[in-house]
Amino acid sequence: MKPFAHFNARSVKEAVGLLTEYKGKAKLNAGGTDLLGLLKNSILPDYPKAIINIKTITGLDYIKEDTTGLKIGALSKLADIARSPAVKGKYPLLSEAAHSVATPLIRNVATIGGNLVQDVRCWYYRYPHQIGGPVICRRKGGKTCNALAGDNRYHSIFGAAHGCVAVNPSDIGMALIALDASIKTSQRTIDAQGFFTAGATASTILDANELVTEIQIPQPPQGARQHYLKFTLREPVDFAIVSVASFITLKEGICADARIILGAVAPAPVRAGKAEEIIKGRPIDEASADEAAKSALRNAKPLSRNAYKVEIAKALVKRAILMEISCP
Amino acid sequence: MADSYRFIGKATPRKDAGDIVTGKSRFLNDIKLPGMLYGKVLRSPHPHAFIKKVDKRAALKLPGVKAILDWGDMPDWRGGTPRCTRALDRKVRFVGDAVALVAATSEEAANAALHLIEVEYELLPAVFAMEEALKPGAPQLYDEFPGNVVIPGVPFFGPKSLQEVVMGDVEKGFREADVITEGTFGYENIPNPLPPEPPGAIALWKEPNKLTLWISSQTPYLDQILLTHVMGKKVEVRTIGGPCGGSYGSKQMSWPLHCQAALLSRATGKPVKLAFGKEEHLAAFVLRPASRMQARVGMKRDGTVTAVSGAWLIDTGYYSMTTQAQVAVGCGEVQLAVRCPNWDLKTTIVCTNRNASGIVRGFGGQELKCSLIPLLSLAMEKAGLDPLEFFKKNFVKPGDGYFWRDGIWYTYRGVDYAESFDKGAKKFGWKEKWQGWLKPSAVDGAKRRGVGLGVHGNADIGEDASEAHVRLHPDGTAMLFSCLTEHGTGQTSNFIKMAAEVLGIAMERISLSPADSLVNPYEFGPVGSRGTYAIGSAVIAAAEDARRQLFELIAPKLGTAPENLETVDGIIYVKDNPGKKMPWKAMSIDRTITGYGRFEPDYTLTNCLMSFIEVEVDTETGKVTLLRIVNTTDVGQIIDPQGLEGQLNGCLGSAGIDTAIFEETILDRKSGQMLNANMIDYKWRTFAELPVIDNVILETPFPSHRFQAIGVGEVATAPGPSAVLMAVSNAVGVWLHDYPLTPDKILRALGKTGVVRKRGVR
Repeated sequence: MKPFAHFNARSVKEAVGLLTEYKGKAKLNAGGTDLLGLLKNSILPDYPKAIINIKTITGLDYIKEDTTGLKIGALSKLADIARSPAVKGKYPLLSEAAHSVATPLIRNVATIGGNLVQDVRCWYYRYPHQIGGPVICRRKGGKTCNALAGDNRYHSIFGAAHGCVAVNPSDIGMALIALDASIKTSQRTIDAQGFFTAGATASTILDANELVTEIQIPQPPQGARQHYLKFTLREPVDFAIVSVASFITLKEGICADARIILGAVAPAPVRAGKAEEIIKGRPIDEASADEAAKSALRNAKPLSRNAYKVEIAKALVKRAILMEISCP
Repeated sequence: MADSYRFIGKATPRKDAGDIVTGKSRFLNDIKLPGMLYGKVLRSPHPHAFIKKVDKRAALKLPGVKAILDWGDMPDWRGGTPRCTRALDRKVRFVGDAVALVAATSEEAANAALHLIEVEYELLPAVFAMEEALKPGAPQLYDEFPGNVVIPGVPFFGPKSLQEVVMGDVEKGFREADVITEGTFGYENIPNPLPPEPPGAIALWKEPNKLTLWISSQTPYLDQILLTHVMGKKVEVRTIGGPCGGSYGSKQMSWPLHCQAALLSRATGKPVKLAFGKEEHLAAFVLRPASRMQARVGMKRDGTVTAVSGAWLIDTGYYSMTTQAQVAVGCGEVQLAVRCPNWDLKTTIVCTNRNASGIVRGFGGQELKCSLIPLLSLAMEKAGLDPLEFFKKNFVKPGDGYFWRDGIWYTYRGVDYAESFDKGAKKFGWKEKWQGWLKPSAVDGAKRRGVGLGVHGNADIGEDASEAHVRLHPDGTAMLFSCLTEHGTGQTSNFIKMAAEVLGIAMERISLSPADSLVNPYEFGPVGSRGTYAIGSAVIAAAEDARRQLFELIAPKLGTAPENLETVDGIIYVKDNPGKKMPWKAMSIDRTITGYGRFEPDYTLTNCLMSFIEVEVDTETGKVTLLRIVNTTDVGQIIDPQGLEGQLNGCLGSAGIDTAIFEETILDRKSGQMLNANMIDYKWRTFAELPVIDNVILETPFPSHRFQAIGVGEVATAPGPSAVLMAVSNAVGVWLHDYPLTPDKILRALGKTGVVRKRGVR
């Protein structure tokens, strides 16, 4: 690692002040599970001049439930979220998504805020300096996206964002969209879907001096069924190759409402709106699930090496929907 | 027999166990010499280029930077087979090749200097696929290897060194066959064995020509010999090994790193530590060779193989350390697995612009079996043969012969492994699960189960020479002098166990000399599975020699002949009159007794392991799940039950079974960059998802040494990958042709995705 200035922020205001002062040349550090790897391998195009430790901000690691819903402080650890009785009770989708992240050691330090703003896992973007790197790809201001013409087995099947086909790796993000959550930052409150609008060099709409402070999830209606399915080569550790979050409300066996989100398939989480429309107002069965799954992937445009992800995504969407009838 | 032993076959604690779990073991990273500097390597971003200019000026100005060296500073030290490769060259041949070396007072300073070295390159076209490298006009990696074909043969194996399997008359063999099949299978995923401790060394150069190296290696004595030759016999090399955090063969490849550390020490006059990080370990160290075989097989309906004819193509990366040796051993091993009189199997080793293939557990044989067993399976399928019955009939039997690595014909004198295959099959339930070729053993919706088996055996259990000294002390203790480091198998404790059994003293009373090439006799090292038989024989012989000398000395004092004596716990007594006794101290307190033992190579015995595997394939997602493994073997006599169990359970790790499921090195075939040089993208099974493993171990006495035992550890990884390929092919009902069987390949084989990948393009 190279030298940098280090600050222990005591408040959100102080952290915002430092971010503003450093004009995009500072990085926030909460759990550090993403940032440290980026720094050690000198992956970022500009090495940060300052690291702002926000673990020193007190009172941002709460999980509070009331009659309107759930509020989670941005510094809450994934391990705490995964095992929280409140989360497990009415928001099992979030608990499952949190539990699916990485390993116990990482979940013990990684925060929910950090998970939402984590950088992409593209292996060209993350190519280490130690082995003749880094790679100046499109996302780092280069001319081309190396993955487009290279090995794109883990990349987008729904096109590029500003020429970059890296996917959003956040498990939590998709769960929050499915749960109709809002994300509160130091300057505004945004719905979860809107939060993940992929830009040229970032996966969220956060400004350079903005940080996530709270996650707000409305209480699910009666009859809501939630599932998180994550396809990986290995059970622990891995980032998703494809993941699906489903939030389906059944009334007397008929689908009254549905939110189906696909993850790791595009630069931002993908809401499968057409699939949702197909199952709404119908009983959940093999035929409707199959039709919805096909429709969710109808607009997929796989790259040279990742057509298989389309098949996996179809299988996962179908399974997520059918779980509504197999799991009471 | 086992019950008559005091230590052999019994569960005993490893000598190093306490130190490891309490953190007292001093691994390379724990050694800090006074004034020690830290070395780092600047690595090439280009797969093939000439270095035109290295500008060190800015980097040299950094505080703490003591030396920056480039190819111009490297003497004519060369390694590889043949010795054509330099540890720093004017030409770089893969992304990650060494360009410059830095020594500094801290790792941070050395790293900072790397960022300031300016290098000008003249780019050359690169080649990443074997068939491209073999084409006329392809970029040439070395002047010495025209057409990028590595010169065959291993000088160390002698003038007839095995390069191919050619014997009998294949045309006649094909005429006699009931079925003839042809195909191509490739094992080209170049996995990394990835021992937990990355490679490293500390070098201390003393002018004019003395070099001491503290190394992390499984073969400390061999490193000394190798480096002496690499350095043109002009340097007095001393190697000191310590606890080694795994090797799986790979750390025998450290000579470039040793040369680099030595050069930095020579330039600075200080000890220099050069240890690779995980990224370097993954992207700039050792991979398995890539291997592909196209062959035609002739077979009779009774499982008699009448002819094998084909071409085995091996990609060794940017140079060959020992690939010719791997080919030689592999060619010997196929004859152990298949009794066939007519062979025409030709081999070609090719250089390409990626990091080098090196020594990895399975040593050529695993690579070869991954293609050959599927090729044989095509014929078995056509002939309607159960692979279990096929290998029972075909695996080498007493009296059969084979050409071994030196090109000499040997006659096998070990046990028939058919019984162990049957025992393993019973434990696995093979007969119940086997439904025939390309048929699943069970179907549950989208999930289909399949079974497969693989087999591997290696006559390396008696390869190469070993020497040992055993020194007896008057206080009833002893010391074993053998140039050994513990690299995780527990064998150093087992050699002490063997000496303890011979000398009749507790293992705690025997210590092992430091693994210093200066004080120990010749030792090839615990490579392959040679530890138990080859090294064990030298240790046993040394202990027996010491014991004989002791008895000869004491016999007159007890008024009897040496052959009437026995010793237990440091007391020598007369066998038929145990009351007549003397302690070892009677040898005199100003005396020690040193026995010497030597093992001469013996290629007439082989080990064997068969692995049975059950998988579940999700036909909608293409995911392969490993459900169950049964390994079966016959070891003659168990030396150490837990150690053996650990070795066999190692079938998963060190680029073993999982190389058929998800483990692979992913090379960008345009840039030559290794894309998954990190522990997230390099798919390595974690302990959280281990399958059920059962090991069936027979103990039919072998005509080896005093304890009638042989080694088997190395081969544990080798039968698995082809067994997985067989199991998955059976589950999905169609032959899969290359590894690993990731979802993209499964879904394509099932016709669910239409994208066809060009061969050689990953």
